[in-house]
Amino acid sequence: MNSQITAGLIGTLLAGAILYLVRRDHMHGSYALWWLAIAAAILILGVFPPVIDWLGRITGISYPPVLPIIIGIGMILIRMLRTDIDRSRQERQLRRLAQKLAILEQELTATRRSLGVSAESSAGPRGKGAQVIALSKSSDA
Amino acid sequence: MQRSILAVIPARNEASTVADIVCRTLAGGQCDVLVVNDASSDETAVLAEAAGAAVIDLPFSLGAWGATQTGMRYAQRNRYRTVVTLDADGQHHPEELNALLSSLRRTGSNVVIGTYAARMSAARRLAGRYFRLLTQMSVQDFTSGLRAYDRRAVRALASREASLLDYQDMGVLMLLSKKGLILHEVPTRMSTRRIGASRVFASWLLVARYMLHTTVLCFAQIGVRSRVLFRSQAGRNQPV
Repeated sequence: MNSQITAGLIGTLLAGAILYLVRRDHMHGSYALWWLAIAAAILILGVFPPVIDWLGRITGISYPPVLPIIIGIGMILIRMLRTDIDRSRQERQLRRLAQKLAILEQELTATRRSLGVSAESSAGPRGKGAQVIALSKSSDA
Repeated sequence: MQRSILAVIPARNEASTVADIVCRTLAGGQCDVLVVNDASSDETAVLAEAAGAAVIDLPFSLGAWGATQTGMRYAQRNRYRTVVTLDADGQHHPEELNALLSSLRRTGSNVVIGTYAARMSAARRLAGRYFRLLTQMSVQDFTSGLRAYDRRAVRALASREASLLDYQDMGVLMLLSKKGLILHEVPTRMSTRRIGASRVFASWLLVARYMLHTTVLCFAQIGVRSRVLFRSQAGRNQPV
């Protein structure tokens, strides 16, 4: 009975921490869903440890406590794989974005030059704009 | 006046040579010149612009291929028909571009690679043999940055698919042959680098990393066959 209280406490704390962090809205859509599912699983397994024995029986594993460890490691590996795939996607997007930005900037400079807008006259309003932004920021604070 | 050929010169901290290369490329009189400044910390961009090139400043370093691809996308946006690439460090002679371009026109290939056999060290040649074995492609000098691309090749290389490559070498060649484009090699003159070392073959650790990286890339592309034409022009391969 004592061990069940410990397991339940750890499960509740972990699930609570995840829930708190997710609710603080630092995570984007599908990540939040994933972590909510993890929190629910931890809560269930912590509060009702017999679930593990039952799972072990129906999957034919003679030493059931190893089951959550295997599943946990498997989940972590899948999660890491997903993270790397995501990172590669973002790297691709970041590179293309940087390229596009640089191309557009060159085009803007060339267009300005062909219109005869000199660097000095274009720097004027830009400088002012920066000042306005700085003012509104300081008034916010 | 819109000319149909764009010379793309990726440059990172090449202030000592970039102006000379731009002037000599422009002197050929048949192409516009674009220098892609890969976040240099020196005067590369200013000097290139003063020499008469259009200059694109990348907001942060994208590597040699990232810079070159920027040029490809610029070429596509501005409807250039042909793109030639050369390095800004002076190892490629802009005077050789004519040979590349005429070869592109004459052979009906999509990509022409300027190779310089005498440049290659034993180690580099061994690496070349290894990659040829791995990919079944028959390109001699797979790291050469002196190349000419036609519009189809430019479209392939400006695509998202090519954005995660890091060097203008095997990965680029494999992508091109996967798209069914025809590669052709032309022997050219090149000089050894005057200043600085190759970005790829700088140290043994980098070489090992590069070999591993490219091997993985090759394995991901296994089963791809190239169609390299072998009609090298004799008499054009005197080293400088």
